Amino acid sequence: MASERERGGRWPEPAAAPAAADLARCVHCGLCLTACPTYLVTGLETESPRGRIQMARLIEEGRSQLTPAIQEHWSRCLQCRACEAVCPSGVPYGRIQERARAQVQAQPASGRAALRLRRLVLRQVVARPRVLGAVLAPVGRFGGWRLRGLAERLLPGRLRTMSRQLPSNQGRPFRLEEAAAGNPDGEPVQLFGGCVMRELFGETHRATVRVLARAGARVGAPAGQRCCGALHAHEGDLAFARQLAKANIAAFEGSAGAIVVNSAGCGAAMKEYPELLAGEPGWEERAAAFAARVRDLAEWLAARPRLPRGALGVRTVYQDACHLAHVQGIRREPRALLAAAGCELVETEGADVCCGAAGLYGLVQPGMSAELRRRKAGSFAAARPEVIVTGNPGCHLQYLAAVQEAGVGAEVLHLAEVLDRAWRADGGASG
Amino acid sequence: MTTRRELLAALRRAVGEDAVIWRPEDLAAYEYDGTVERSVPHAVVLPSTAGEVQAAVRACLDLGVPITPRGAGTGLSGGAVPLRRGVVISTARMRRVLEVDPLDRVAVVEPGVANLELSRQAARYGLYYPPDPSSQAVCTVGGNVAENAGGPHCLALGVTQNFVLGVEVVTAAGELRQLGGRAPDAFGFDLRGAFIGSEGTLGIATKVVVRLLPVPPAVQTMLAAFPTVGQACEAVSSIIARGVIPSAMEMMDRLCIQAVEARFRVGYPEGAGAVLLVELDGLAEEVQADAARVRAECLERGATAVRVAASDEERALLWLGRKGAIPALGRLAPNYYIVDGVVPRSRLAAVMERVAAVSERSGLRIANVFHAGDGNLHPLILFDEREPGAGERVLATAAEILRVCVDEGGTLSGEHGIGAEKREFMPWLFSEEDLATMERLRDVFGADGGLFNPCKVFPGGTGCGEMGSHAAAVRAAGPDAYV
Ligand SMILES: Cc1cc2nc3c(=O)[nH]c(=O)nc-3n(C[C@H](O)[C@H](O)[C@H](O)COP(=O)(O)OP(=O)(O)OC[C@H]3O[C@@H](n4cnc5c(N)ncnc54)[C@H](O)[C@@H]3O)c2cc1C
Ligand code: SF4
Ligand code: SF4
Repeated sequence: MASERERGGRWPEPAAAPAAADLARCVHCGLCLTACPTYLVTGLETESPRGRIQMARLIEEGRSQLTPAIQEHWSRCLQCRACEAVCPSGVPYGRIQERARAQVQAQPASGRAALRLRRLVLRQVVARPRVLGAVLAPVGRFGGWRLRGLAERLLPGRLRTMSRQLPSNQGRPFRLEEAAAGNPDGEPVQLFGGCVMRELFGETHRATVRVLARAGARVGAPAGQRCCGALHAHEGDLAFARQLAKANIAAFEGSAGAIVVNSAGCGAAMKEYPELLAGEPGWEERAAAFAARVRDLAEWLAARPRLPRGALGVRTVYQDACHLAHVQGIRREPRALLAAAGCELVETEGADVCCGAAGLYGLVQPGMSAELRRRKAGSFAAARPEVIVTGNPGCHLQYLAAVQEAGVGAEVLHLAEVLDRAWRADGGASG
Repeated sequence: MTTRRELLAALRRAVGEDAVIWRPEDLAAYEYDGTVERSVPHAVVLPSTAGEVQAAVRACLDLGVPITPRGAGTGLSGGAVPLRRGVVISTARMRRVLEVDPLDRVAVVEPGVANLELSRQAARYGLYYPPDPSSQAVCTVGGNVAENAGGPHCLALGVTQNFVLGVEVVTAAGELRQLGGRAPDAFGFDLRGAFIGSEGTLGIATKVVVRLLPVPPAVQTMLAAFPTVGQACEAVSSIIARGVIPSAMEMMDRLCIQAVEARFRVGYPEGAGAVLLVELDGLAEEVQADAARVRAECLERGATAVRVAASDEERALLWLGRKGAIPALGRLAPNYYIVDGVVPRSRLAAVMERVAAVSERSGLRIANVFHAGDGNLHPLILFDEREPGAGERVLATAAEILRVCVDEGGTLSGEHGIGAEKREFMPWLFSEEDLATMERLRDVFGADGGLFNPCKVFPGGTGCGEMGSHAAAVRAAGPDAYV
């Protein structure tokens, strides 16, 4: 470590470094420690929000290089932003972390090839629903559980976990044209399709469309929309994330009404397009107008006055998706909707602690991801739910694996699927 | 002279490879607590058992290396900052609630358990642990014991000292000892009492036995807004003079209200000069009656509005603003220095005026949030450490405020401890002989070698670094081949 402060710090790419003013906001009070899943697991300051901010400060102040150890601490961060939600000083942790990751991209210490590959996969596969579909299709064909069991036994550990995580009830992928539904005089609503959601969660999308229509919306889904770019931004590929953001803003500009999202991660990213595009001439206002229209499905529904009710009567646990609870502040709405659908809600310990799925995290940090999943499995085993509800595809996959681990026979469903069932069974009485 | 290599080898033998932190950049995450003090340790260990704590302490004593205990590092007097470097022993991996006994209303916990986690576990039996520092979601029971922590709800019930029955400690001499026990009425010398509030200078708590109370059946939280701090202070005195003892009475001034509103939007009345948060608990009828009296008293003293929380959610929101008030000031300035002093309740209004005068003279903005019921002030001096000479000006201003507290018949610390920050002021309150008596108690616990949390509580001492000086911290982080 250097003994003197160096002006401008030691960032590999100073122009895209975390802002000194953002870092200075942290008064190292420590009030974020117990919100942080990686601190709870390890007990290490270096794996805490305060520690990760300190690492950035060391570089900013010229006290350290971007060492492999610092890179490791950052890449162990789930970017769940639980810390940001509790920080009394308002430290913009998400922004700091994305910029920190971008530095790692500029100077990866270990596994430069792995990083390139990840970035390539993100750009060329994940961001293109058709390509993603082609890649996933062979896996999808192992639809029956027996075949799946066979395939599982042949697969090595990490892949086996992945295969266990694929949803089995989602039918074929979703095409944007399927979104056109609802009362022609209804309130216009535009569905955001996303990448993984469209390919792996076709049924969730179809349920979402039905639920929106039942709630009185006239649903559509503009062509030309793309992946939201959240995964890219989290990996520090801010340039590509900006490209995707612009494509989406342009795609939705011709349409009317709220932009409804049923994936927490996408919704959070889209509400933050103005930050992502800050300083881009001509885009700031368009991004602000776009973000103002974005609503999570639960948020949009909860604001409607006369929704159908239901009488499902199933023992249900709701798990907060990080980017819904911590970033969008949506905790009450999904629970209220479930209660009105007749679910018997049971709260579990750590319902709003990250499940460890966190985008590509499970692939990069399998150990920590598995530990967090085990904790969820433990809480499911204690609560014995019949249904586990979430609002984010990554978490959904993680819970499918956790359910098997816990040995509970619970079904994992998206909020839209539960409401779809409840409202259908209900036959139409509004309350 | 011990080399770094020898030290690390000894620590690894004591607690295992996985529990020793040694990389310079990692150690930098242990250079601070919640204050402006900074000093990078040579190593950090994270023991999992009392046996490992003992082994780590002995390894350090053998090599003559200073030891600093650390809980969650939320301290506000620099207690967990290793001013003479050496080894930090963190309790972050001793986080089990070992037992909750609903019949005896007693819990046994490891020292690294977070204060709020203890109450959460106790809640299964309708019980809770009353001392509730505003940092309770994070700060540890071990750190609470060391600082004799208080909190908003300590007004009626008392501080940590009143709720800890026994402590198992590894003493500064490396011996495992039981102080106090499980029974509510201890006999003999109260060594437990001597340990509580010793700020990590006598040893490390490895197990704590605490008393729990039943969750009160009814709670009411109200918020009163006043044009001036003086009027709010008068209301506090007159409420208590009326014979009402609320479970909490907390005050925030205009600057503080601004910061809290900017961060949390809790709906504290805009433009108010002060808000008073009052909580009452007990049986429903009692609470109702007391609430009416508190309301009347506030209005009498000039309150412009009195609002009663209508739901648990509203209540939680009102408290969120209070509990996050201190760090929320990070919105108004890059740094703050928090002063912790106590004055007799009847002198509150006068002292607040004098604090305002100090602020004006120094040119530094001072925000106030405090446990009004206890007369425990927390003036927060706002500054920017990057401005040349800021540190010195702040320390001088803090000293002036503490001088005011002592002049008005108060003391140097309500709950944050003396730590590194206020030890030079100890002679204002204690004679040389008094201090010498305390030092002799330290010897009894084996701290006579001066290795256990050095540069804390007692004035003087060499090699403690410059207080609050960033330059010193950066210098201290230089090449460290030798301890
Ligand atoms: C926003 C904020 C609000 C706060 N509000 C309050 C409040 O309302 N009331 C209050 O009293 N305090 C308050 N504090 C101060 C602080 O949280 C308390 O002093 C708390 O008790 C410290 O606990 P910790 O685990 O963080 O200890 P640390 O900061 O890690 O350590 C504090 C001291 O305890 C010693 N120590 C830690 N663990 C042990 C152990 N096992 N055995 C022996 N010594 C040990 C350390 O050496 C050090 O001297 C607040 C702090 C913040 C940041
Ligand atoms: S991030 Fe926020 S909560 Fe965490 S230490 Fe910094 S200021 Fe405190
Ligand atoms: S984003 Fe999540 S994992 Fe990362 S530091 Fe914050 S709380 Fe911890």
